[in-house]
Amino acid sequence: MIIVTGASKGIGKTICERLLSNNQAVIGLARDTSKLDFESYDCDVSSFKDIENTVRKIKKNSKSIQGLINAAGTASMNLALLTPSDISKKIIETNLLGTIYCCQLISPLMIREKNGVIINFSTIAVNLALKGESIYAASKAGVETFSKVLARELSSFNINVNCIAPGPIDTSLIKGVSKTEINNLISRQVIQKQFTKFDIADIVELLLNKKFKSISGEVLHIGGS
Amino acid sequence: MRNKLNLKKDIYLKISNLSERPNVIIDDDHSLIGSDSTLDSMKLVELCIYLEDMASEIGFDFDWTSESAMSRSRSIFKTAGSLTIEFFEQMESK
Repeated sequence: MIIVTGASKGIGKTICERLLSNNQAVIGLARDTSKLDFESYDCDVSSFKDIENTVRKIKKNSKSIQGLINAAGTASMNLALLTPSDISKKIIETNLLGTIYCCQLISPLMIREKNGVIINFSTIAVNLALKGESIYAASKAGVETFSKVLARELSSFNINVNCIAPGPIDTSLIKGVSKTEINNLISRQVIQKQFTKFDIADIVELLLNKKFKSISGEVLHIGGS
Repeated sequence: MRNKLNLKKDIYLKISNLSERPNVIIDDDHSLIGSDSTLDSMKLVELCIYLEDMASEIGFDFDWTSESAMSRSRSIFKTAGSLTIEFFEQMESK
């Protein structure tokens, strides 16, 4: 089984659909899973308690977990000095702490199997230090560093940890970003085109593939950075 | 159900097997964390997984990842004795 957070929309939903189409069993986690037609649990990743309860339910079903994909995330484009504290808190709690909590509580299920893959999500905004994305980029920079350290800590259990760092992918996360800004971002990628959720699903498939077990502690930039 | 003495023996044997120091004798005061420990942090995780399995056989969940367990982790994992006491306390409370 592969656990995917943020499973109800955006990149997380696309990843779930791809894995299911490959006959890969998936457990989706999202705040509202009422529209998901596969095994899923309502879970707010920013709540340690919520994840604890969800993991307990998964354990009860004695499922063998081979992967965790932390796709849940939130964004808000504000200048650093104009970002309200509740927005900063929400971004850090969902993106950074949510990823940390899920890794802490779900990786023991993979340690038991001595096998697993963890995929976390960063952003091109970390490398490019984009104006208006300071809190978001800071949360994702934290995810990158956490992932690199975790990759070392879990390597002896045959668990690989990597980050995918997309550029401007067409999801609700970038709904407030103008076409000009998106084009400006794309022009700073190595491959100057806008990639899609499906390109990310391709990279997820690659990282889940046993042939690529030599990749760990890396940040893979979609389109190059 | 196995008695506490046998369970304790099994826990100490597991610690000994995981230990980086060969033929180490495990007693109640054997350090599990800090510079005197013979286990690295990953071996400690393996020990917790072992205790989870042991608890599951007995019929309870050994909790080492909850908020309350994590906040007490320095005292729980101080010595082989303190970890065993925690295991028994959880066994008796569930």
